[in-house]
Amino acid sequence: MLEFVKILSVLILLSAFVLMGNKRINSYIETFRVQSLFIALMAGINGIIMLRTEGRFDLLAICVLILVLKVIYIPGLLHRTYAHVKYEVEKDFILNIPILISVCSGLVVFTYFCLGTLSSIIPNSIILQLVNSVSVIWIGLFFMISRKKAIGQIIGFLVIENGLFVTTMLGTEGMPFIVDLGLFIDLITAILIMGILVFRINDLFDSIDTDQLNKLKG
Amino acid sequence: MGFILPIIPVITVLLLFLTRKSFLQHIINLLASGLLVIGALLLTYKVVNQGSIRYGFLGGIFYVDALSVIVLDIVIIIGLVTSIYSVGYLQEEIRQEKIRPGQIKRYYLLMYSFIFTMVMALTVNNLGLMWIAIEATTLASAFLVGFDNNKYALEAAWKYVIICSVGIAIAFLGIILFYLSARGVLSESAALDWVALYENAKSLQSPVLRLAFIFILVGFGTKAGLAPMHTWLPDAHSQAPSPISALLSGVLLNSAMYGIIRALTIVNCNLENNIFTGRLLLAIGILSILTAAIFIMTQRDYKRLLAYSSIEHMGIIAVAMGVFTPLAVFGGLLHMINHSLTKSMLFLSAGNILQKFNTMQISKIKGVLKILPFSGTAFLLGLFAIAGTPPFSIFSSEINIIVALFSGGSIWIGVVLVLLLAVVFAGIVASLFRMFYGERDQETLQPGEINKAGTGAIVVLLIAITLGGLFMPSYVIELIYQAQGLILGI
Repeated sequence: MLEFVKILSVLILLSAFVLMGNKRINSYIETFRVQSLFIALMAGINGIIMLRTEGRFDLLAICVLILVLKVIYIPGLLHRTYAHVKYEVEKDFILNIPILISVCSGLVVFTYFCLGTLSSIIPNSIILQLVNSVSVIWIGLFFMISRKKAIGQIIGFLVIENGLFVTTMLGTEGMPFIVDLGLFIDLITAILIMGILVFRINDLFDSIDTDQLNKLKG
Repeated sequence: MGFILPIIPVITVLLLFLTRKSFLQHIINLLASGLLVIGALLLTYKVVNQGSIRYGFLGGIFYVDALSVIVLDIVIIIGLVTSIYSVGYLQEEIRQEKIRPGQIKRYYLLMYSFIFTMVMALTVNNLGLMWIAIEATTLASAFLVGFDNNKYALEAAWKYVIICSVGIAIAFLGIILFYLSARGVLSESAALDWVALYENAKSLQSPVLRLAFIFILVGFGTKAGLAPMHTWLPDAHSQAPSPISALLSGVLLNSAMYGIIRALTIVNCNLENNIFTGRLLLAIGILSILTAAIFIMTQRDYKRLLAYSSIEHMGIIAVAMGVFTPLAVFGGLLHMINHSLTKSMLFLSAGNILQKFNTMQISKIKGVLKILPFSGTAFLLGLFAIAGTPPFSIFSSEINIIVALFSGGSIWIGVVLVLLLAVVFAGIVASLFRMFYGERDQETLQPGEINKAGTGAIVVLLIAITLGGLFMPSYVIELIYQAQGLILGI
């Protein structure tokens, strides 16, 4: 079972790289959906292990929540938002893709060295998985600054959340359930608010290009 | 009597949902904020006498002690002042046809959700739940920042949501690391309980805690407006409706700072000195003051200027916490109180000026003292106060911090701090004082105050900050001493 978790953690990191290489907004959303599916699987596997050993349902409940929210609801919401505000298909990144990918590889190496300092405390096998998940956080952050469209930034934020969630699951064997639940409530509200803001930005600025948000300076 | 503070805003929100008439909504707003103040005073009285209080229900997640009560009292008192001010402010906005009467309900709903999230952040004892509540403050206030729904307000709201959500996500990584540092020391349910963390601080894993503190400082520092993560702050504070600016600046920044102080206490206790945290906080604090000083010198918009001044004062509090001597911590906590009262007064009077003159450009405003005799005077005196002139209360807390720096051996940092404060003073005088005198040439504005009750609230705050500089009530001092003891671990 644990082998699957290892494979999934690598797949999650890979999906972050794929996301970085995506050119169109619709393909980001799909990549995010796939990444969330991997995370849901991981939560499911860990949940089954937890149910067997401790008899707790926490992680299985979270697995269901991820499936409903991150695999089905949020990608659908983003697709609908994008369909409303779409004007023309245009590429949406500042640097070219090979440079973006090499920066991401650099981020993974950087995380590896940072987390190496923890080897006295956490078993090595977990550290390697933590490197994957913490790298996903940094790649999400980098994704946000490499895209100009508002929806790209929302996806970046979601990927950061995904990375945080996997880090929590691997590093701590799950936070207290109430914390996880609160996290999800915050996440869904944040996405709704960002979605509404995207609509309004589109109404007022006739575009969702965040380069146009440049009135407030100094 | 159980713990009623978080329930009041929830009931208020429900009642507001049911009412249609704006008159009733104003009444509910005033009643709710009044009740909150009574509840907070009772709670403060209890804490001064008993020390910390832990409530048994809901798995014991509610916990209050002197430190949280100080910040909580600030939240609720500023909440009362802004709710009084909001009544007149909203009526005037409607009269000028900037908002529709239906929007009053939305305003109050969001405002009380905002207050609810802040009360939650300050009364839970679990780091994870505190994080959730602080993230929720961003979400509750996002539409308040974008309330005016024009291009500027929307840009500010977007930046606010994105920058603060990402910042706070980084703080969550710090919290996960906190949890990791307690592996094997605390049971799973207690590993985020900060009282338990504090009691077992000596046996936590130091390397992980150091890493955790950096993430928490960056994350909550984003929310507290510390440079270089401050970029959302001037936009949000200047574009939000003025009473909301007062809440953001006077209250929200302190709640985030409270998160940093909680983490700082545990990390310092674990490392048994403040060298690590002190260096980080001093660097980030001085950088904030420096950034603010530069932007204040060249500012053309008075609400933005006040926002930068908030960054400066958060920097001063960070410096005080970095020094970590009893005097500095005392000064820092006092500064939190004084800054909130003064800054919210300034934002409220700036709101009156904005509604009268309908511009945020300093160069387009002349003769404020003639046209708005009370709020103009309050604004002028408040500027002196915020710049740190005696006899106002900010002077007394700043002098505490500066003395602590010089007596604590950080002489050069003290010198830099004093120099920067002088620059800020000069910047405020040079940019803003031309607003007050002279005749207004283009059009004739009728002299006279618009928001009578609100102006009354401003005058009360002015009296409070003036008296606060001359003497302190003994129970306030007692409360600060208790909080100081908690932070220093005495």
